[in-house]
Amino acid sequence: MSRNYLYSIREGFIGLRRARLATFLCISSIAVSLTLLSVFLLLTINIQKMVRIFQGRMTFEVFVDQGLDESGIQDLARILRSMEGIEKINYISRDAALETFRTEFGQDPLEIYGENPLPASFQVKLARPFMTQNRIRERIQSIQGIPGVDEVIFHDKLYHSIDRYSNLIIVIDGVLFLIVLAAAILLVSNTIRLTLFAQRKNIEIMELVGATRGFIRRPYLIQGLIQGGLGGLIACLAAWILVFILHARLPNLLEVPAHWFLAPVFLGLVLGYAGSWIGLKKFLS
Amino acid sequence: MIQLSDVWYRYGNHQILCGIQMQVRPGELVFLMGPSGAGKSTILRLVHMELLPDRGRVVVADFDSQTVTSRDIPILRRKIGVVFQDFKLLEDRDVYENVSYALFATGVPRRKIKKKVFQVLAEVGLSHKRYAMVPELSGGEKQRVALARALVNEPFVLLADEPTGNLDSENTAEIMKLLQRINRRGTAILMATHNEDLVQKVPGRILRIREGKIAT
Repeated sequence: MSRNYLYSIREGFIGLRRARLATFLCISSIAVSLTLLSVFLLLTINIQKMVRIFQGRMTFEVFVDQGLDESGIQDLARILRSMEGIEKINYISRDAALETFRTEFGQDPLEIYGENPLPASFQVKLARPFMTQNRIRERIQSIQGIPGVDEVIFHDKLYHSIDRYSNLIIVIDGVLFLIVLAAAILLVSNTIRLTLFAQRKNIEIMELVGATRGFIRRPYLIQGLIQGGLGGLIACLAAWILVFILHARLPNLLEVPAHWFLAPVFLGLVLGYAGSWIGLKKFLS
Repeated sequence: MIQLSDVWYRYGNHQILCGIQMQVRPGELVFLMGPSGAGKSTILRLVHMELLPDRGRVVVADFDSQTVTSRDIPILRRKIGVVFQDFKLLEDRDVYENVSYALFATGVPRRKIKKKVFQVLAEVGLSHKRYAMVPELSGGEKQRVALARALVNEPFVLLADEPTGNLDSENTAEIMKLLQRINRRGTAILMATHNEDLVQKVPGRILRIREGKIAT
């Protein structure tokens, strides 16, 4: 590393020490902004995750004709398995359906009707790419046309409502994320600009004695990187603590990949560097 | 070495320089005399290439205002020393750091920097104050630090813009003695001043500026 670079790094650290208050304010504003952004990010990830879990559990109920015999049911199972887009089928016999009814409702239909009135059925799960409004409708129609099928039930209204509302929440969340991001960029760049404003005379003097723009800029960019990195680390720590606390209360809801915690640090470095670069442009002739 | 040919410069609606024609030869001491607002500082800023002329040409050593690029300007400034009435020192640094900055900017090794800074501080009589912070210094001492900074890169010319304007008579005399010594060593000096007494006491060529022109 050249002498100039070593000098710039040293000057960068010295500059931070000289302007302790400005450094503290800058790191704080980056940390607060990035913590807010991290919370939004976690929120978005979890909304998407919850929707995926819920939609993934939704299945068709394919009721079988009461008169269909064992071999007819096996043929129907074979046809269903061979259909495009069907991920999984689960056969529920009439006896199994009766047992489930007894467990869930605490009543015995045999006592009321004298015989088992419940039909056998298949629970059919579509593969994820087939879970669109049109494709679901197509599947329902084609299953309904198979001989031996009495009725197909799918709570498509519920499914699409969840889809619509989750999309709406994600859009609102995304817009809020962008607003907070824009506010964070403004806040950070203004804080850095204020710090540099206090240094404008020094920058002018540095130019007068023949320092190149790069030489003048470097210590301030290093300061921006340090401030951004530290602010990002604090935000990362705050997000980790938040996830840790929420995880204890909602173990199934929050699951964040470890590398996501590095996002605020990366974003902090970018914000600090870009903020210093843009701020300096104003003061360098 | 420094040549201004038919230089015109306007700031807003105010025509500051109207066809300035002048030169400074190696080792010369030239005083730019004139009242405030006459255009003395503008000439120095043109030589320092902080400003470029609207018309005409400024040539400083190998640098020509008509062809100079923004990359050339720092290189030119390292060959020119400059001192101002308001000193223009880095207030949050000590004397040593102020003087050494100009050397760090040019990539001089630290070992050489120390030697050079100590040498130039001894020359201006400030060795004992090398680790004093700028706000702790008197006006005369600040100007001597500014001079040390201007000289540390061994410039061929020193531009001085009212260097004694903020100093009492004792410090003025000290600074002028220093400038003469520097000049005797071969460094040309172009000094803007409106102090007639000062100019009469020091031998040098006088260029009088009136209404943006050199008075004949």
